[in-house]
Amino acid sequence: MNTMDTAIATHPFTRGINPRYLHLLTKGATYERFGADQPIFQETFDADRFYLIHSGHVALHTFIPGRGVTTIETLGGGDALGWSWMFAPYRWHFSATAADPTEAVALCARTLRDEMEENRDFGYWMAMRVSGVLLERLQMIRVRMLEMYDPPE
Amino acid sequence: MSIPNLTAAQHPFLNGLSEPHLRILGKTATPKRFAAGDRLFREGEAANGLYLVNTGNICLQTRSAGQPVRIATIGPGEVVGWSWLFPPFFWHFDASADETTEAIVFDAAQLRKDCEEDKAFGYELMKRVAEIVVSRLQVTRLKLVQSVKHDLAAALPKGE
Repeated sequence: MNTMDTAIATHPFTRGINPRYLHLLTKGATYERFGADQPIFQETFDADRFYLIHSGHVALHTFIPGRGVTTIETLGGGDALGWSWMFAPYRWHFSATAADPTEAVALCARTLRDEMEENRDFGYWMAMRVSGVLLERLQMIRVRMLEMYDPPE
Repeated sequence: MSIPNLTAAQHPFLNGLSEPHLRILGKTATPKRFAAGDRLFREGEAANGLYLVNTGNICLQTRSAGQPVRIATIGPGEVVGWSWLFPPFFWHFDASADETTEAIVFDAAQLRKDCEEDKAFGYELMKRVAEIVVSRLQVTRLKLVQSVKHDLAAALPKGE
């Protein structure tokens, strides 16, 4: 296995995957390096990748009128980045920027979507895992909301 | 009391589901009616149901600094409950009926089993549940923006 295949096979996201589906993840995938402060993706742009972070840190942020760019969460090695690629219209809901030098596998979203439709067993597994990622983001944005919420006196 | 003849027309969540998948769902579906103020579930309890709301409204709330905070209002055509799909399988919020509310309730333990046994069914169900999480996230983000606006309004000098 090359560096990228190893990075995919050993990433926590793929824990418990049926080994015969690993090659579906590697199809069209690339190994990416980002410098500190380098944008990885931007809100409203095409969500065409799904990232498995290998090392470094990624700040997930959004623009809130009156408050400016607000960081929702910082992700690190072992985290999965991105879920918008799974849902039409396939556009990023947040922006992501490398907080420090970051290495990640960028999986091809179109390939994943096609394979999920083609192979429901793989599709079910992926949908479960990505929904888990999505749920973590939802919990975190709720935490941010409650932090910003001022109870009426 | 299950709903053996569950049809796609009974709720938008069921749109596009095949007959065999509707039959699987029908086995665990129960029609339920909640009066205003009735509690559906409490934060921290084991998550054991999926609720498709037909009429009325459900209030989802949590507490912040001792104050109840409404997270979302779930109305007709909408869905409550996905915590049963993901560890640690307990409810993250309190849910209660704002008014008389009718819903179709599914047994989560059975749904989980059905998903595992029939992955095509599991895939269809997961896609739908995940869409709900996405829309809930969008609503939450909007509330975040509104709460900031509220803070700004409060910070402005009075009488201007």
